[in-house]
Order: sequence, then structure tokens, then C-alpha cells
Amino acid sequence: MALLEKLHRRVVDMGLVPRVIALLPVISTLCALFGFISIAILPMDGQYRRTYISENALMPSQAYSYFRETEWNILRGYRSQIEKTVNMTSTERNNIMGSWLQEFGTKTAIYENDQYGETLYGVMHAPRGDGTEAMVLAIPWFNSEKEFNVGGASLGISLARFFSRWPVWSKNIIVVFSENPHAALRSWVEAYHTSLDLTGGSIEAAVVLDYSSAEDFFEYVEVSYDGLNGELPNLDLVNVAISIIEHEGMKVSLHGLPYDQLGNNDFFSRFKILCLGIRDWALSGVKNPHGNEAFSGWRIQSVTLKAHGHGGHDITTFGRIPEAMFRSINNLLEKFHQSFFFYLLLAPRQFVSISSYLPSAVALSVAFAVSSLNAFINNDYASISLFSKYNLIAVLVWFISMVVSFVISQLFLSVLPAGLLMTISLAVCFLPIALSGKVHISEPLSYRLKNVAFLYFSLVSTSLLMINFAMALLIGTLAFPMTFIKTISIKASAESETSLGSNISIKTEPNDEMQLNEHYKEGISEKNQQRQQLKNLSLLILTNPFISITVFGLLFDDEFQGFDIINKLVSAWIDLKCWSWFVLCIGWLPCWLLILASSFESKSVVIKSKEKQS
Amino acid sequence: MIGSLAYCILGTLLVGAVAQDTTVPQIGVDDSLWYPYDETLLLKPLPNNDLLLSFTFQLQSEPFDPAVSSHSFDAYEYYTTFPRAIPPLLDSTATRQFHLRFTRGFWDALSWGQLPHGGKQAGASGVELWSLVQAADQEQAFQNWKKLANSLSGLFCSSLNFVDKSRTTFPRRSYASASASPLFNDTENLYLMRASLPNEPICTENLTPFIKLLPTRGHSGLTSLLDGHKLFDSLWNSISLDITTVCTENGDSLCHYEMEAHVDMATHVPSALARNERPIPKPLDGNSLRCDMDKPFDSYQCFPLPDPSETHLKLSQLFSKPIKNGNLFANRPTKICADVDRSTWTAHLSVDDTIYSTHDNCFELSNDQNESGSGYDFILESSDTTQVSPVDPVPIHVGRSLTGNGQDRGGIRTAFHNDNDTPVKLIYFESLPWFVRVYLSSLQITSTTSSHLHEDDIITDKYYLQAADRQRPAHLEFTMLIPAHSDIVMTYQFDKALLQFAEYPPDANHGFEIDAAVITVLSPESEEPVYETRTSTLLLSLSTPDFSMPYNVIILTSTIMGLIFGMLYNLMVKRIVTVDEADKIMLNSGLKYKLLKLKEKLLKTKQTKID
Repeated sequence: MALLEKLHRRVVDMGLVPRVIALLPVISTLCALFGFISIAILPMDGQYRRTYISENALMPSQAYSYFRETEWNILRGYRSQIEKTVNMTSTERNNIMGSWLQEFGTKTAIYENDQYGETLYGVMHAPRGDGTEAMVLAIPWFNSEKEFNVGGASLGISLARFFSRWPVWSKNIIVVFSENPHAALRSWVEAYHTSLDLTGGSIEAAVVLDYSSAEDFFEYVEVSYDGLNGELPNLDLVNVAISIIEHEGMKVSLHGLPYDQLGNNDFFSRFKILCLGIRDWALSGVKNPHGNEAFSGWRIQSVTLKAHGHGGHDITTFGRIPEAMFRSINNLLEKFHQSFFFYLLLAPRQFVSISSYLPSAVALSVAFAVSSLNAFINNDYASISLFSKYNLIAVLVWFISMVVSFVISQLFLSVLPAGLLMTISLAVCFLPIALSGKVHISEPLSYRLKNVAFLYFSLVSTSLLMINFAMALLIGTLAFPMTFIKTISIKASAESETSLGSNISIKTEPNDEMQLNEHYKEGISEKNQQRQQLKNLSLLILTNPFISITVFGLLFDDEFQGFDIINKLVSAWIDLKCWSWFVLCIGWLPCWLLILASSFESKSVVIKSKEKQS
Repeated sequence: MIGSLAYCILGTLLVGAVAQDTTVPQIGVDDSLWYPYDETLLLKPLPNNDLLLSFTFQLQSEPFDPAVSSHSFDAYEYYTTFPRAIPPLLDSTATRQFHLRFTRGFWDALSWGQLPHGGKQAGASGVELWSLVQAADQEQAFQNWKKLANSLSGLFCSSLNFVDKSRTTFPRRSYASASASPLFNDTENLYLMRASLPNEPICTENLTPFIKLLPTRGHSGLTSLLDGHKLFDSLWNSISLDITTVCTENGDSLCHYEMEAHVDMATHVPSALARNERPIPKPLDGNSLRCDMDKPFDSYQCFPLPDPSETHLKLSQLFSKPIKNGNLFANRPTKICADVDRSTWTAHLSVDDTIYSTHDNCFELSNDQNESGSGYDFILESSDTTQVSPVDPVPIHVGRSLTGNGQDRGGIRTAFHNDNDTPVKLIYFESLPWFVRVYLSSLQITSTTSSHLHEDDIITDKYYLQAADRQRPAHLEFTMLIPAHSDIVMTYQFDKALLQFAEYPPDANHGFEIDAAVITVLSPESEEPVYETRTSTLLLSLSTPDFSMPYNVIILTSTIMGLIFGMLYNLMVKRIVTVDEADKIMLNSGLKYKLLKLKEKLLKTKQTKID
């Protein structure tokens, strides 16, 4: 204790406290910078680890895979028939597929959903094991690009037939043919856990197949694994998939990396996958879902396998991936629990775990907390009572902005178009300039609004970063420019000007920082003020949650056009129960509204000595 | 001489013929010394090329007088064919009857119809045990039951020793026995207790002691077929053992034990036969592919045909060995029957390349080994396997599944589907582990077929015994009436309790199993049980802590306690002064001051020396 005491006295003696307070904005920026740097160094040698199979029971590729030779003939036989069903209605197509499945003893049922169409599924009961667990092989009839998944469907039926001959299964196998990989598949998974009569026990893992070409050969496999709301499948399942794919001699692509970049493994290639990974993780469910997202939320580990390109490997090689994966999963005596649930892949066989990447998001939320502190103490009004009207009004405004945000989130969820939202967002940004000289708020209120805004944002991002790291990092980064918005103070009116002098004279300990402020206030010219207002305007536009996310989508993801992303955020909630929309509306928007309010012109206020005593 | 070797006889009339034709003298065997033992095998082809094989074994013990204690000096115990292990066990635990079931697999009621023996011999997945124990009170009954379960656990190499209070229920109407059990002491009562272990894997370990209980012990007769590799390589299999006490009513107060054992299995014939040729189901040769010629077909593509509908099946192919001999000492010969559709199926018994047939497809095996010692074989042939003898449709289809997600709560959904023309009355029995905290208030009855229905019309009688933590499971027993042609869905919600640290299984597990629900269908007139069926078991995932967490907690709390202690200690032993005071004191007593003093002292001595 004595040591700390001494240190504290030393700090007081040197006058570090006011200096640090004066430097708070810089510290906040440094925190954010630290966050970005700490994530940018992850792809450097020594920062990441090689993946490994943590659960010894899995043993991927230890058993020889037999989906080959004449199974190919059978697959072609089925494919020639499936090709004829492209233009049929889903009922006709499902009936044909259902009759084929029944031929080898699969129990089939059709789940009907008025909104999302029919889903055919079949349960193959395990000859070994107690039938309480299941593995799912899901095949959407049309993949995420709306192409007919002819290869996937023929693989699905021929694999199911192949599996039915094997006596080794200790978990039931469920084959699912849904109309599409998003809402239709999701509604089936939901129904499986609420209302279906034919069930096969709790689903442990799911593999979604996407092979949309009718060709026999393909080039490489893309593995998609991002779940909804920040959930990822257990790293063991992803590792099993990757290890099997590489064992069969194919190359693995992550996050849509093209074929010519698959061999690279240097800092920049790893950095690219890292950034793409964070983007896809944050926007998972908003982007076109691959199918594995549908299983998120019921402790089901799932991946999507997608075949790309022409030539190279034959379609049975692709079929051997789910075969070997099912053999591995079948070995499991426990749930998937051994390996990581939170990780970032840098290359198919390299990853960083949560302890390595989490500090960056923590640093970002600390940056907001420091900004909040800055708005609280780094001005003339640090000493006003905690229960002064400014604080209470700020909290009230926060409450109102929460209500407004909630109303906005609900309104645009169902009724209003995205274009309107963007127009309003943009228009609102101009309010401080348009109303300059007409509407004023008091200066302490402006600071208190900022204080509450950043504190709220920091809390949101802190609570988000454990469960949805990518989202926390994304909104933290996009919203960070908000901290640069400065309070515009105009010269106080005549009567308050006179009292300003007395105000300053009251101050007992005028320190450097206050003198600086004083100087700044006195020296501020009309021109400077206008420049600051323009700067505030551009920062406000940039950090509006809707504008910001749209710009981000347009710049960094070629899937989105125009205001697409807003509609997709909304439909992600409606179809898939992905909360990204609410994170933006209820996490980010209230903070932005408070900052908007704080950027109105403000008048300085005399602080009475009575208030100061607290 | 064939007549003396094997007989394919019909009815008891020809049994006499066996005795007459037998020329080999049977030394020392007197007709009166034939033992009460009966074994039969029934083969029943099912749709989809499946085959049901039902083995039945029946035994009787020597009569005994329950009034004479086994400890009295003139008492003696005489076991003939009855297993030596059972009577002392029944005696010491005052058990009047017990029923043991080992079942595994999925019974496809939709295509196979009713379970064999009206479902009364098939348990839920895993091990199931129920017994009728005579005791003065429930506590004593439980002690006896516990002892019985422990002994059976040793006898059958199963985990029945895990049966404890938290797994035992006292069924009220379910599990009613067809035969009345005697009460040896009028001051005591009979208690029916039941427990099941749903996650118990059934394997050869359980089968071997089971076969050893039978007098032929796998050496002759039907038990020679029973092989773990074949029995457990089936779609569904069930081993059951029932022991009952039967007393004669004619005044001499003699009782005897009856034992009934069943082994039932359903197997897919084409895969079982293919397994003999190719142990690993590798892809077929291009030449042996069976393709649909109506669809595009060449050396690259082939639309597969379903399994062939002709079959030629030998029992020795299914079990990799023939039946060795008859049962050798029973009062009735070993019997094999086939329940087939006569228009397309034929059944034969083959002995030494000679084939026999009867017109009711039942065969009795003589005790004399055939000349070459090759044993008996049974042949089933069919030109169209899709034609089978009609299966009895099940009175009701019941499916049960878990609903909801999350670690803290869930729900159970049971769907009843009655497609008969008459309503079905049934007893729904469910035993839920104590960590499933059921909200009976959330019980809902819905129907997709009829819109307005009242819960009380469906559930006519409700019995519910709440679970007590670690003491007893929740016990639901509903009498229900499912209307004709209707789908009724019963749902209820529950909370998942947290377990104590030591109650978790050693490693992270795949979940906690919930017992199957037992559905007893009652006959509409007499309310007697006519059919029994069980749902599948369920897998419940409880929130499992990270078991390294306790150490983190210990480290953190220790650190905090250390800090608090340090502060308190400082407060208690140190004087509190202001900073100015402290500075003054430091000036006169600090380390610096002492050094200064020392320096001064040294200098002073130096000075004096100089002086």
C-alpha cells in the first residue's frame, strides 16, 4: 500500500492528472489505434496457431471412403432424372424424391410452410445406437445464387442410398431437401424443434451440400461456417471438413477466395482472409446465406460445402467429404465441446483463438469509454452536480432517443422503404447547420449528451464483443469517427457574458487545461466555427448507422447494391432471427441521435458556486 | 432312417410316431424325466424385405413350499433345468415376479405393424426392469428392489446397480401383470416398482449370461443360433426375461417359478445376406449393378432398382451356422414355424440335403443328431417378397420429441395418431428425471384434425407425482381417450435444474437421457391391456459448466480475500495520520533519516578520531 501511496503522491506532485485529462481525446484515439493494430498483427508469424483436431474420437479420414466407382454410375442415374424436375412444382419434385428415399427404407415426411414452401425430409434410423441423436444432410433445391442444385440433389439421394447399406451408424441420418438455403431451411429447423411429428432425436451436426452444376468435375471446395448472431460451429467440425477435403486432394476456399489465391500463405493472404472473415461473420445472415446459418441457435454444428469451378476432381470426391464427415461425427460419444467455439481462421489450417483477437474489440470499447469520460470532465462543467438539470435532461434525451430508435426499428421492419430511411438519415444530419442561430442548447448539456452517448455505446459494444465479436468490431470501427465531433459554442448573450468573468474568477484552481479552453473560446472566430460545423456535418453523415453500413456494404462487399443492405438486414431478422438490424437500431442509433443533438450550437452557461460544491 | 433323424410333423399326434420309430435306445431316459422346457422359433417376413425372428423359451422350476424356509434344517433345494441363480435371488428379496428387458433399435410400426407378443415383451431402448416385491412397507420394498437390481446387474453385466430412488417409480395402472402373484405373508403387501436405464448399450455382455440361464446353454437347440454378432447386427432387437411365481390352488400350497424368455429381432434380409458375401458394403461391380432399364442406362449411368423381390434365404446364412440338434431333454421338441403368405412363400426344413415341408409351415426337431452332424437348416423362399402375411396395424402411433432451444428450459411434445374407426383408450406413463422440472400448468392438448376439443375429454384421468430433487422422478400417468381418425398433440414445458458439481458424468457427455413413455392400450370393453408400446428415448442437454472454472474461481476469490485481508490488517495495526503529519514523522524516523543519522555518527567518530 505504501508503494501505491507514494506513487499517487508522486503523480499529484508532478501534476499528471490534469495533463492526462487534457490528453483524453488523444488517449481515446490511441486506444482505437491499438485495437486496429492488435488485430492487424494477428496474421504475423508467431501470432496465430495451426489448427488441430481436439476431440480424439473424430479421427477424420481414418476409415477408407467408399463413395466411388459404381456409386458414380448410380449418381449419374439419379442426376439424369433430377435434371428433368427443374421446371416441376416443388410438390411434384418432392414426391419423386420421397418415393426414391422410401425405396431403401427411409421414413419420409413433407413439412409444409405456407410462406416458405415445402420441405421434404427423410429419417434413416441408426441400426447401432439409441436413436436419440441425428446428423443432417441438407440439400437446398436452389442454392444461394438461385441456381438449381442438381449436383447437390443427386449427391444427396445417392449418398442416402449409400449410407443405408452401412451398418455402422450410431446416430440417425436425416436428409433434408428444402426449397432454398435460407428461410425455407430455417423454417424446417425451427419446425423440427417445435411441431414436426417425424423426428430423429437431437441434431448434433449438419452438412449442407451445394453443387449447382450438372457437370461431373469441379475444381475446389468452399467451406462456409459463419452462424447467425456471432455463433460459429465448433472448430473441430470445420477442421474435420477441411482436413477431409485436403486429404482427398482438393483445395479449400474460405470466404469466397478465388482459386488462384488458394495456394498463397503469406502475411497479406492471411490478412485478407482475416478481414473477409470478420466481414462475413459480422454480416452473416444479412449476406446471402449458404445454408449452414439455418441451423444456428440449437447447438447444432453446421458447415456448407460448395463446389466451384470446372475440371479437376470428380463429383464422387465431393461426395466423399460428407461421407467421411458423417463417419467422424458418428464416432462422437460426446457433444462437440472439445475445441473452440470462437475463433478466426487465417488460412484453412491456421487460426487465432478468442484470447488473441478479443483485446482489439475491448480496446475499441475502452476508446468510447474514454471519450465519454472526456466529455464529462474535460470541460468547464466537470464540477456541476450529478443531479443537475443537464445530467437529467441528457438521460431523458437518451431515453427518448431509445424510444425513437425502437419505433424506427419497428416501422422500417414492416412498412417503410429503405430509401426513405436513408433520405431521413441524411436530412437529419443537416439540422444542426440549418438551424444554426435559431436553436441553441446549453453547452453543459451538449457535453452531457456526448457523455451519455459514448457511455451507452461503450456498454453496448462491451456486452456485444463476447457473443458477436465481429459485429462489435464493425460497429465500433464505423462509429468511432463520432468521437471527433466537437461541441460548437457560440458567444454567450450579453447578460451571461458579464457573468462569465465572474464565473472564471470563482474558479479556485485554474489549471492549464481550463486556460486553454478559455483561450480557445475567446479566440474562436466565425470562420473556424463554420469549418467545425462542416466537419461535424460530414462526421455525422459518415457515422449514421444506416448510411455507414450501406457505404461499408457497397465498398467492401460486391453482394450489395444500392440500399439493399437495409432490406437484407430487415429480412434477416424476419426470416432468420438475426439481430444485426436491432444492434444497429437499438445499439448504435440512440448514440448517434444523442451526438446529433449535442452538435447543435450551444451557449456557455455560468456555473453557480452552489452547484460547484458537489 | 431319415424318419428317426428329423421329423417334420404336424401336431402332437406324430410325436408318438417319433418314439415308435426311434430305434436307437436312449439309455436311462425315462419319459417321466423329460423336463419342463419349451423352445420355439417363429419367422415372420415383414414388408420391405425385413424378417422378424422370435425365439421363445419357457421353463418351470420344481415345486416348493413357501411355508418352509430355505434355512430350515430339513430344507433342500433341487434345481433341474431351472437356472440355479434365480430362486435364491427371488427368495432373498421376497420378489414374486420380475421382468427384465434389453431392447435396442427402431421398430418401424408404420410398415411392420404391431410389436411381437403385443408389445408386452419389448422394452424401451436400453434396459428396463420392473418387479413385484412383497414387503411390509414401501421402504422395505425399495430395499429389496435395490438388492434385486444389484444382483441382476451382476448377473447380466448391465448397469442396473445405478437404479436408485431417483430412477424408481411405483406405477399405478401401467405394467399391470396378467397373472396374479401370491402373497406369502398376509400382513405384508406387494409393491410394483419400475426403473429403466435409457442410455445403456445392449451387447454380447448381456446376451451371454442370458444364454447361460437356459438349460441348453447355446450348445444345442435354438440357443445354438444365438450369437451376439448376428443378433445385434439387426434393425431392432429385444431380449426379455420374465420370472413369475405361480401357486397351485388345490390346497397343498405348493408353488413354482415360471420363466419365460424371449429374443426377438428384426433384420433386413438383403443386407444381412450381402454381409456374408461382402463384409464391407463396398460399391458393387459394374456387372452386378441392378439398373432400371426404362431409364437412361449405359456403362456410365444407372438408375438403381429397389431390392429384388425374390428371395432364397437359409437360416444358416443369417446366423452363419445351422441349428445344432434338438433341445435334447425337454418334454416337447424344439419347434420352428414360419408365418408366411402361402401364395408366394414356401418354407422348408433341410436335413442333410433332404428337404421337408409341412402344410402349416411348422416343424419339430427331433433330439437325435443327424448322421453327418450338419445340423438342421431352415429355408424360406419367395417369388414375391412384397406379399407377406398381413401385419396387424398398431392401434395407435405415438411420437415424442423435445422442443425449444436453450439451456434453461424446454418442452416435450407427444403426438398421438389414431387412424382407426374407433377411439382408443390408453394409459400414458412417463417417468421424468428430477432435473426436468415439469410445469403441469403448461400442459396443452391440441389437435390438427378437430378444432374444438376439451382437454378433459382427452385426458380422462390424471395422476401426477411431483419429482423430489435427487429422491424421486416425476411420475405422470394419464388415462387418455384418443378419438377415431384424429391427431392429438400433448405438449408441456419444463425447466432444467442445475446439477451439483459431482453429479455430472465424469467427462462432458452427449446429454442426459429421458426414459421412454409407455403407452398401454386398453381394450374398450374390459379395460384389459391389449397392446403396449414405447416411444423413443430423448436426449436432454443440460447446461454443463466448464470444469476448469472452479479453479479460476478459487484463484480469483483467494486473490480478493488476500487483498481484503491486507487492507484490514493495515487498518488495524497502523496509525492513521494526515499527509503533513506523516511527512513530519518520516523526517524524524524514515529510512532516509536513519541513514543520515548513521552518516552523521560515522562522520562524528571520524572527526573525533581526527581530533
